[in-house]
Amino acid sequence: MAGARAMNDRAGNGSRLGEFLWNQMPVIALIVLCIIATILSTRFVSPININNVLIQGAVMTVIAIGMTYVIVCGGFDLSVGSVVALSGCITAMVMLEYGIIPGVIAGVAVGAAVGLLNGLIVTKLDVNPFIATLGTMVMFRGATFLITGGRPIVGDEGLPIPFLDFATERLLGIPYLVLFPIVVFVIFHWVLHRTAYGIRVFATGGNTEAAFLAGINVGKVRTSTYVWCGALAGVGGVMLCARLQSGQPTAGSFYELTAIAAVVLGGASLFGGEGKLYKSVVGVFIMVVLANALNLANVHSYWQQVAVGVVIVAAAAADRLRHR
Amino acid sequence: MTVAAPLASASGISKRFLATQALDDVSFDIYAGEVHALIGENGAGKSTLMKILGGIYQADGGKLRIDSVDVSYATPAAALLSGIVVIPQEMRVVPAQTVAENVLLGQVPVRRRWGVLPEIDWSALRARAAELVGRLNLDVDVETPVRRLGYAERQLVMIARALGRSARILVLDEPTAALEAREVDRLFDVIHSLKRDGVGIVYVSHRLDEVERIADRVTVLRDGRKVGQGIRGALSQSDMIHLMTGRDLEETLHHGGKRVSGAPLLDDDDLNLKSGEIVGLAGLLGSGTTEMLRRLYGANKDNHPIKVAGERISFRSPAEAIARGLGVVPGERGLGLIMGLTVRENIILPNLDRLKTAWGLDRKAIDILVDDLMETVDIRPRDPGKPVRELSGGNQQKVIFARWLAGHAKILLLDEPTHGIDVGAKAQVHKLMGKFAADGGGIVFASSEMVEVLSVSDSVIAMRAGNVVARLTRDGDYTERALREALGG
Repeated sequence: MAGARAMNDRAGNGSRLGEFLWNQMPVIALIVLCIIATILSTRFVSPININNVLIQGAVMTVIAIGMTYVIVCGGFDLSVGSVVALSGCITAMVMLEYGIIPGVIAGVAVGAAVGLLNGLIVTKLDVNPFIATLGTMVMFRGATFLITGGRPIVGDEGLPIPFLDFATERLLGIPYLVLFPIVVFVIFHWVLHRTAYGIRVFATGGNTEAAFLAGINVGKVRTSTYVWCGALAGVGGVMLCARLQSGQPTAGSFYELTAIAAVVLGGASLFGGEGKLYKSVVGVFIMVVLANALNLANVHSYWQQVAVGVVIVAAAAADRLRHR
Repeated sequence: MTVAAPLASASGISKRFLATQALDDVSFDIYAGEVHALIGENGAGKSTLMKILGGIYQADGGKLRIDSVDVSYATPAAALLSGIVVIPQEMRVVPAQTVAENVLLGQVPVRRRWGVLPEIDWSALRARAAELVGRLNLDVDVETPVRRLGYAERQLVMIARALGRSARILVLDEPTAALEAREVDRLFDVIHSLKRDGVGIVYVSHRLDEVERIADRVTVLRDGRKVGQGIRGALSQSDMIHLMTGRDLEETLHHGGKRVSGAPLLDDDDLNLKSGEIVGLAGLLGSGTTEMLRRLYGANKDNHPIKVAGERISFRSPAEAIARGLGVVPGERGLGLIMGLTVRENIILPNLDRLKTAWGLDRKAIDILVDDLMETVDIRPRDPGKPVRELSGGNQQKVIFARWLAGHAKILLLDEPTHGIDVGAKAQVHKLMGKFAADGGGIVFASSEMVEVLSVSDSVIAMRAGNVVARLTRDGDYTERALREALGG
């Protein structure tokens, strides 16, 4: 059997290499992008800029990880941007009243609660995920403005210093803001790609009916992915709150679109059942590096938006070509 | 009856898909006013030939002539213009629209208001549709939404649409697969009247008695080659079977009848399954066999109480049924497998909880289990990391079997497990079923192929319109005729 496999390998060498390159397209694209950026501006590889890029990608990485769970499970979540704002404001308000730890817990918990609500609307009421989360997106953006009166939450003497330090301090030269997403990634990568639960997520997204007939509680699995996504958006909100040193009711707008775009750039299928967590992170950094490189090249920010849009469409089209 | 030149003729048609020679030098023609049956087993090349006629595929080699003129068309639209209409098994109707709109889909009559603004001419639409529908003796108001029609009526709507496009050649793909006897008679009346109007009909089917009844000529395909042709009466049913399979029928499996059945495994109002037994569930498409299996399996959430191993229980989900030792092989393989996941993942899917450790999955245990099962049910290639979508139909079906063997299921519910797989794989599936029963398991086996269900089962329950209409046991009248009478009525 091993011999047969080896023979197979040899016979299919060319196509296997081709397949490998196709599969690693997001990674290759990111590397090429970095090379071009370096050529365009030597500032790109400066420690300050690399630090910038990593910090800019940090919050989005955490959100895109949750989004990958939902999309792999065949769902969709438009509410994450609103959750970032809501969670950030709740974190700030609770923190000013009761201290750092309760604040952080409240921020993450409110995200998880919104996720649970999304999941229940989608599975129990059988509402299309796009519409369900469009509704909660608008709902919780409104709720955020209501509880904040539309003003940033800063407190009279600012948020507690140890909390703000999280956004500025470093461990062994690496910002906490960058280290933290790495820890989140490692845990969620293991869960999605190495555990029984992860296989259930892929199976449910790949073919809900077949997963149901194989004894999987598909409603529970689908709901759980929304809870993860909401909770991680809540985490993103807390991180952003520390970075902005305040709870901003307008924070996180368009984050949902960026996160979905990053997951799609990473090659996950919007039909569910396909995707790799690390590629979603690569997708995040394709967007961040692209924006950064255009910045360094002094391209106007309006043009940057156009460019990012073109890249998203091109990536999606390339993916369809591959599947043809 | 026939005129000098055929309406259409295909000569020396070849078509290749990667490593598969789907058609090899096949010639086929159709005259006006003729029913030309095209028969063959799954994978013989019938659908490829149909798709070439219908403009969906282009032949690699060979000639296509219509009215003695060479044509080469690359799209279904071009085939339509030449007067060839294919009526597929899946009805291409718009359920939300009316019969009239469906009949004239894409050919809606338009008038100009005030001589300029184009708008739909509703009265002309209704009148034209009513005329076309009337030609088929279909008694239905053209204002009815198609979603309210049954399969047989939808099929006639499709045929009416073909007439509306002045079709001269009608290709019918397994038109009776989902019809009751009465509806088959009505369809055959329609075919006869179309013949009188000079329409040529290509009739693709594997129901040989119907082919004998309706066809003026028969062409038999096997492995992409034409292996026989005859005019009405020239080929008997056993001749046709011999040509289609390359062997005689009696070689097909006979497992049942001899084994002693043991303890009761599964009891429902209509069904009693004992250890070591295979109970057949015979019925045409839509007869309720699928529903019955889903109910037994807890997939319908209706709290239907059944008895499993003597214990009264009602399953609220498949998960509960699986925990009690049930396993299901759904009618369409797409419903049973997650195509993007690997063979390994598909096999362990219902058994994940047994294969967990504190640190994730027990990969060693999984590898041993999967390798062993792939050997037992003979899944090829023996690559547990291959996505199941890359496997052949027969091997995909074996993956589902392996899944339930891995979970030590005692009761298997099979819905058309051999549908659409080739003869060799079919025999292997039958063998697996026999072995499962011989090892003390019990199988409920739903099938619309009467010969198959009779030969594999120990007893057969016949279903029609959701009800059990007959019970055949091996010590009674256990014949195809008896079953056919029960189902056809």
